[in-house]
Amino acid sequence: MATISTQLRNFKEPNKEELNRFFFSLPPEEVHANGADTDHANEKEKAFSGTEKMDINAVLSLGEQGLEDSYAGKLHLLPPYLSFASVDRKSVRFTIPLCTIRRVERLNTRTGVFALSLAVWHGMKIVIQLTALRPTADLFCTLLRDALKAQLQQGQMKAMKNFVRTCYSEALLSSPSATVAENDKVDPDANAGALAEGNNPVGEGDGFHGGLGLKFKFPGDPKKLREASKIKLWTTYLRSHGRNLSLLRYPQFTRLVQVGLPNRLRGEIWETLSGSMYLRFANPGLYRKLLEDNKNITSASIDDIEKDLHRSLPEYSAYQTEEGISTLRRVLTAYSFKNPELGYCQAMNILAAAILIYLSEEQAFWLLDVLCDRLLPGYYSPSMHGTLLDQRVFESLVHKCLPMIHEHFHTVDVQLSVASLPWFLSLYINSMPMIFAFRIVDCFFCMGPKVLFQVGLAILKINGEALLEVQDDGGFISLMRDYFASLGDSAHPHSTDPRTRAITRFQELLLVSFREFSVITDETIQAERRKFRTDVISSIEVFSKRAAVRSLKRHGRFNKDQLGLVYDALFKAICVIPAETQSIPPPNLLDPDKTTEQKQETRIGLRTFRVFLSEIATWGRNEKIVSNGFQERVDREVAEHEFIDRLYYFWDTSCLGTLSFQDLVDGLDGVMFNDLMDNIEWFFNLHDKDKDGSLTKDEVLVLSESLLFIFRYEVGDAYLGAVSRFMTNAFEYGDALLPQETNEDGSLKSPTVGNNQPYLNLATFRMVVLADEILESFFETDLSASFRLEPVVDVPLTPSSSGLLGGLLSNIVTDGNKRLFNRVTDEIGKTIGKHQVTHRPSIGRQMILQEPKARESLLTPSMRRSSSKSSLSITETSSPGATNIPSTPSSLTLRSQADISSSELSPLPHVKAATAALMERTPFAIDDAGDDDDDDDDFPEHEGEPDDQVMDEVDAFLEAHDSGLSEAEKKLAEDVAKAPPIK
Amino acid sequence: MAAEAASGNVDKSVQVKLVLLGEAAVGKSSIVLRFVSNDFQANKEPTIGAAFLTQKCRLEDRVLRYEIWDTAGQERFHSLAPMYYRNAQAAVVVYDVTKAASLEKAKSWVKELQRQANPNIVIALAGNKVDLVTPSSSAAPPTPSPDGDDEPDDATATPGETPSAVAEVESLRQVPRDEAQAYATEAGLLFFETSAKTGEGVVEVFTEIAKKIPIEHILASTRGSGRNGGPPGRPGGQQSGVNLDANATQAKNACNC
Ligand SMILES: Nc1nc2c(ncn2[C@@H]2O[C@H](COP(=O)(O)OP(=O)(O)O)[C@@H](O)[C@H]2O)c(=O)[nH]1
Ligand SMILES: [Mg+2]
Repeated sequence: MATISTQLRNFKEPNKEELNRFFFSLPPEEVHANGADTDHANEKEKAFSGTEKMDINAVLSLGEQGLEDSYAGKLHLLPPYLSFASVDRKSVRFTIPLCTIRRVERLNTRTGVFALSLAVWHGMKIVIQLTALRPTADLFCTLLRDALKAQLQQGQMKAMKNFVRTCYSEALLSSPSATVAENDKVDPDANAGALAEGNNPVGEGDGFHGGLGLKFKFPGDPKKLREASKIKLWTTYLRSHGRNLSLLRYPQFTRLVQVGLPNRLRGEIWETLSGSMYLRFANPGLYRKLLEDNKNITSASIDDIEKDLHRSLPEYSAYQTEEGISTLRRVLTAYSFKNPELGYCQAMNILAAAILIYLSEEQAFWLLDVLCDRLLPGYYSPSMHGTLLDQRVFESLVHKCLPMIHEHFHTVDVQLSVASLPWFLSLYINSMPMIFAFRIVDCFFCMGPKVLFQVGLAILKINGEALLEVQDDGGFISLMRDYFASLGDSAHPHSTDPRTRAITRFQELLLVSFREFSVITDETIQAERRKFRTDVISSIEVFSKRAAVRSLKRHGRFNKDQLGLVYDALFKAICVIPAETQSIPPPNLLDPDKTTEQKQETRIGLRTFRVFLSEIATWGRNEKIVSNGFQERVDREVAEHEFIDRLYYFWDTSCLGTLSFQDLVDGLDGVMFNDLMDNIEWFFNLHDKDKDGSLTKDEVLVLSESLLFIFRYEVGDAYLGAVSRFMTNAFEYGDALLPQETNEDGSLKSPTVGNNQPYLNLATFRMVVLADEILESFFETDLSASFRLEPVVDVPLTPSSSGLLGGLLSNIVTDGNKRLFNRVTDEIGKTIGKHQVTHRPSIGRQMILQEPKARESLLTPSMRRSSSKSSLSITETSSPGATNIPSTPSSLTLRSQADISSSELSPLPHVKAATAALMERTPFAIDDAGDDDDDDDDFPEHEGEPDDQVMDEVDAFLEAHDSGLSEAEKKLAEDVAKAPPIK
Repeated sequence: MAAEAASGNVDKSVQVKLVLLGEAAVGKSSIVLRFVSNDFQANKEPTIGAAFLTQKCRLEDRVLRYEIWDTAGQERFHSLAPMYYRNAQAAVVVYDVTKAASLEKAKSWVKELQRQANPNIVIALAGNKVDLVTPSSSAAPPTPSPDGDDEPDDATATPGETPSAVAEVESLRQVPRDEAQAYATEAGLLFFETSAKTGEGVVEVFTEIAKKIPIEHILASTRGSGRNGGPPGRPGGQQSGVNLDANATQAKNACNC
């Protein structure tokens, strides 16, 4: 039943470039293969030009005059994308595929100013002044030109033109009136795409993609949501700032998102913001193909999905129909095929059901992909480590920002996560009424995952007083439930000012989130995650170890601790060579339920088994003792031999070709507790392939070879002698015992038994073994004792205190360094003639040449003294993960410790002040908060200036933006924007 | 009466935290729904982590207020379960009598509870969906076909739920009552066979648990600490504590110093 995942160990902190790509919503590099060019065989040559990256300081102006300020920032060439971010990283930014750039011109400007004008697909003119030294600017231009050329050659421009037609914004802007009516059919045969099939899902095939909402209505009252006003504002914005692939984000954009996206544009803006649009663009048809290719496949994920389909936003009308349900089913199963390791996790159904209201299946599929991979990393993975980590981070932020609540929860023993877990796992969709949750989702896509934390903190803060009365988990949940149910109510029902009264509790929530918790930045979250990651990972590992041991059906003669050690060795081995992908056992026809029962078992293949055995059996590893005059150390590698393979198949009792933890426990139990007679029989059976109770001649030879393998590093020739005596005897006895084939001369004659005929039975084998003292002692104790559960540790044999470089070694921490150090000392050792390598024996009984001390413990069967001193000292030196795991957590811990000391000691001062303020909070002083007309005003009444009113709501919490330019620079930027192109 | 007055807004009912555990789709949520609303319907409530419900239960002169935590069944949520069973005074571990594997899972939950949960926890084992294997005992008409018509959705969720003939009905059973009973006795559990669908045995689960709960114990601790949580002092609470919180607990303690 156990799944063993070592994935968490492989986690690497993202580097600067990866963070940058994340910031610009770009797919991680290896993924962004362009659908078109992967097909070309000689793509390698092309790959050289047009893929180089570069960034450069720049000032961005929008061509149209007076429309927007100019902004200083950084321009990044990240083929096939061009990205820009203003200095403050939030006021202005864009990511556009290069193929949306139609023309680039050098501008004829004052001397010393280097400016480019980019004509972008949607008719915009972007002017970029490169504020770098001339050669740098020149280089940038060259690279940009190459990259653009490469895109042109790949036919991306054409693909782009087809693609943008799938976007609603195109339809919106091409229609004469500002709003596109309900049943607008735009260019029905555009978007040929992959949508030719007859049974077209909703929203695809009639030009632009759209969600179930187009057919089943969007949640909420469009009038109250002021859809018409919003659409008008967006139309204006999109007309001058580009759209879909070429969208530029200026401060107004963020404001528009914060007041809530209009239903019809929502999906598309989500796509752009999350970057899922780039994936959909780069992988045309992949979604359909995944479904097609896996049409008849069943899996545990599919079973799980099926169970949840009817409990995914069942209150939304589409999910009361077969159409809605099958849409949801297709998206979830397609994702489980794309990412089988993650498969399906409860809560993804909520997410998928929610986004499908606004997005077509294909759009939703890619958005789900970005959510699971990038925006909510590790949330839904089998270990759910991302969820656990962010819960821990959230708790820590509550500690810092709302210490009173934290303190109270601690006193009454309330767990924050009982309520906050679903907030994060379902982006609040499962916790609050949909229309509100979607506005949080809007902000989440626009401003990043920090939003989830900001909103969470604001919820607690707003309910601060009531929370301090809560006495247990149940009370906490109930309070939150009541609060969410009241989000549509007035936040200040008793205020005399009708405008204040009109502020809803939801508006209050957003205000508090973004105004009072603006201290929570992406960097805060990153740093907090870094701080707790190691902790969370190790608790997950401890948990799964315990679960694995608990779910063993048979323990054999091992105690719990010993089973834990077997698990540790297995875990280490999987770290080195990953387990087989969870092999789905062949379906059990008699009892289909049985298949689900075993679905989650980790099974290892032969290569992993070898590593496992090298941890457990002394002969499973080759150990070279290297001395070079400075140090004496053991170099260890995994042994490979037919004998090990034989053992692997011998232990695979269910004949699945892979071994489970249980198989390993059973297998070890079968040999580690044996006495002389048991061991002889065990060894015999191991070599009796057809299990007929006798060995063939070939098998006798193979068995001898096995012995030679085990004894390969024994000192002296005693063991060699023993094996050769064994062979002689075996064949002598064997021949003698053949059915009276003794002809006239009675001895040497070609045996009548073929090499594959039964030849030597157990009794004879036993006799032959017992005839030899060395073999007898091998089977009596050494064989069983050669399996040792204590972890193998890399300790230098001689303490490095002596010698030239002795003191140095203790300073060398990382594996990489150690290896380097070893290499250097080896080289020096060789030149001074002190380098010497000997193999460490596996049995070590006939030890003459080696110092006996180190061998001593080998002589004692380990099982009888598993808690002896020697094993104790070993565990001491082996800090978790120090031995075989490549990345050392130690450096990580050090760094995060530093972080703690600065921040943990006292809550951030301004946060403290804010918290103090909370406890005696007065109504918010927002004068024009928008929804003042919700009660009885009719829609037409705010025809006059409703659009502005929508914006008022958000002005109150808008973050100040900064163009990063001085007055003189602004003037210059303006001039540049007006400059004519160079002829 | 006096106690009631003293404790102010807290009524005289004793609060009991109960957690439901078991493989996905064995009927945990349905059992809760039957107990709380005396209703049976296809499960519409998405459970993320755990659903939280309360229900009062009268026992002789006392009223118990059950705080029920109905956990999500998917295997990957297992590591979150400690969050819900910590401090629980009672647990109902559910399996499906038509699925042998679900009993195995139930046993492993029992093991985990006995090792990690509150040491005084009262555990009940419930073999659910017994209506599928005992058509005669249910109040429903002898022909099993209405079952299928009732909830067309169920057919997909639990294949083989709609027996076509009475003869087949008995053969659906994969867990003999005796076997489960023997296991429960050995492990010191209360044991019931239930049907959330017909209601059979459901209320009994909760009333028998109520009888076995050391109520005086809870009352004493409530008075002492002002909390309706676990038994006083929670012997070994910190160590036996929820694995995934172990560090959190430490951290908290550290902050206190
Ligand atoms: N026939 C029958 N079906 C049941 C019973 N209890 C639950 N079910 C069905 O089994 C499925 C899973 O039930 P649910 O309560 O969601 O299980 P959970 O995942 O353990 O919470 C649903 O389709 C229920 O209708 C029962 O007692 N009898
Ligand atoms: Mg449930």
